[in-house]
Amino acid sequence: MSGRYLGRKFTQALVTIVAIVILMFLMFRLMPGSPDRALGRNPNLTPEVIAAARARWGLDKPLIPDQLVAYITSTATGDLGYSIFYRGQPVTDVVGQSVGPTVLLVGLGEIVAIVIGLLIGAYAGWRRGGVVDRIGNGASLVLYSMPYFVIGMPLIIIFAAGLHWFPTSGMISPAAESGPFSGYLIDLGRHLVLPLTAVSLGLLGAYSILMRAAIIETRAEDYVTTARAKGLTESRILRAHAFPNALLPMVTLIAINLGYVIAGAITAEIVFNWPGLGTLTIEALNARDYPVLQGIFLLVAVSVVLANFMADIVYGFLDPRVRV
Amino acid sequence: MSTAVVTVQRVRSERWRDAGRRARTFAGRYIRRSDGIVGLAILLAFAIVAAFPELFVGKLETAVSATGSRLAGPVAGHLLGTDELGRDMLNLTVHGARISMAIGLMATFITIVVGAVVGIVAGYTGGVLDTLLMRVSDVFLVLPTVVLAIILAPVVLDVIGPDAELFGIRATLIVIVVVIGLTSWATTARIIRSQVLSLKERMFVDRARVIGSGSGHIMRRHILPNVINLIVAQSVLTFATAVFTETTLAFIGLGDPFAPSWGEILNAAQDSGAPGLGAWWYIAPPATCVVLVVLAFTLVGNALDDILNPKSGGRR
Repeated sequence: MSGRYLGRKFTQALVTIVAIVILMFLMFRLMPGSPDRALGRNPNLTPEVIAAARARWGLDKPLIPDQLVAYITSTATGDLGYSIFYRGQPVTDVVGQSVGPTVLLVGLGEIVAIVIGLLIGAYAGWRRGGVVDRIGNGASLVLYSMPYFVIGMPLIIIFAAGLHWFPTSGMISPAAESGPFSGYLIDLGRHLVLPLTAVSLGLLGAYSILMRAAIIETRAEDYVTTARAKGLTESRILRAHAFPNALLPMVTLIAINLGYVIAGAITAEIVFNWPGLGTLTIEALNARDYPVLQGIFLLVAVSVVLANFMADIVYGFLDPRVRV
Repeated sequence: MSTAVVTVQRVRSERWRDAGRRARTFAGRYIRRSDGIVGLAILLAFAIVAAFPELFVGKLETAVSATGSRLAGPVAGHLLGTDELGRDMLNLTVHGARISMAIGLMATFITIVVGAVVGIVAGYTGGVLDTLLMRVSDVFLVLPTVVLAIILAPVVLDVIGPDAELFGIRATLIVIVVVIGLTSWATTARIIRSQVLSLKERMFVDRARVIGSGSGHIMRRHILPNVINLIVAQSVLTFATAVFTETTLAFIGLGDPFAPSWGEILNAAQDSGAPGLGAWWYIAPPATCVVLVVLAFTLVGNALDDILNPKSGGRR
């Protein structure tokens, strides 16, 4: 892989992250309840006291570049300010506590959806117009049109409220939290089934549709014709020639999709009261806890940018044609 | 009558005949797409309901004018049951169609206008402006738009106040519309730009330039008519995304309780614990409508895209 390709992609990722941080900075200035307004509201403050406070917070310096540089520096060093709702706690701590459950949910959901979605999509695309294609593609389109919480709500009604197979909400029951580790895992699993199903189903549609299109495109390639001319069986052509090549565009698509997946997972978490970033987002929204909201956004945005950067690199390794 | 006038008239009538022929070809190709027809039928049904909700269920019920008992399942007077305030679910869902689709329409309009202007200007002008606009669109393409909207909406709302009004529309709805529009134009800009790049090398653009047309004129009169197909296909697909995003934002609690869209109804259902209580009638109607509308727009959009977009022809 050429250094130039790597360098260009890296610059792109860096520029995007800087742009996001600048956007955050500008939004901070837009927000109501800025220190300036708070200071102006108190009639007992003398101009000297206000000036001193402004100097301490760096508000006497010009917005650009001084305040911006200070903001970027503290953001880069992991200082995202303090939560309003959780008094005194740093944003990094508050957000950090919620990352685990979301990563568990989104990570497992991605794995399940990628495996099943790609298989269905590949088979449907290979046997275009067949039974699997008709049913699979139709179902995928419907799933693709469903927000994750719209998938989650019926799951609760049927399997939790109706059949009582699984708990309606939460991640762990209080009893299992202090019990033995095996019991902890089983309880976690029981809580995980429904949210995981919602996230996987929501993702599955998109992946299956995209994989189907990729396979259909691959099927017309010359090397597939060559493989067929060599007398290989259909299943071997699909497994050894078409499938690996159709996977290429999926690498990028999965990375680009990550932002939507996290947003969707946030809504699914709300439905299942799963104690991750989604639940935290709602709490922060209701309390207008802007520092936490911004921390969540920064985390999601940077993860998505990094995922895209990694996808570009992986793609560069897999497909020599793009390394220019 | 001078020959010049006759020629102009002949060219004009020729143009009309051409347009008629193209429309017939298009209709002929569209009618063969069964998925597109199904989508169109669903959309027409929803459009009628959204245009005249009073005709079907009377005025929108409020907490004051609610007619049923609280959170009760379907009965004779309330075919789809009632919500936790005793409002008729059928009434709410039908009125939700107008609100959801109006927000979707406005958001689509902003998305497409911004996307088309950026795409055409960047593609036609080229150079530094193109590079700059494309870097900006890079950022917006990668940004998780829904998550951005989640933090942008409350900030804007707090700045202008939730009770402010613009053209008689409540601020909450405007904010949702603008936020969706501003965060989702990049895809459209990219698609249109790539088409403009190839268009501007064509002979008719050179001819226009040679007879002294300015850039603005060329973009309006020569480039725009040639990307209008793409814009139409992209609008329909954008609408699907806009309704989807609006539902998500309203569900998270950024909607307007006084203008209950489907997402807002689902938000109320979640808040009143309807899923855990097994109150399926509270969730099924708005959820089904969202899925049907998004699905229908996707079907129509895909069919249009296959027919109108030269780059995606016959892929599906």
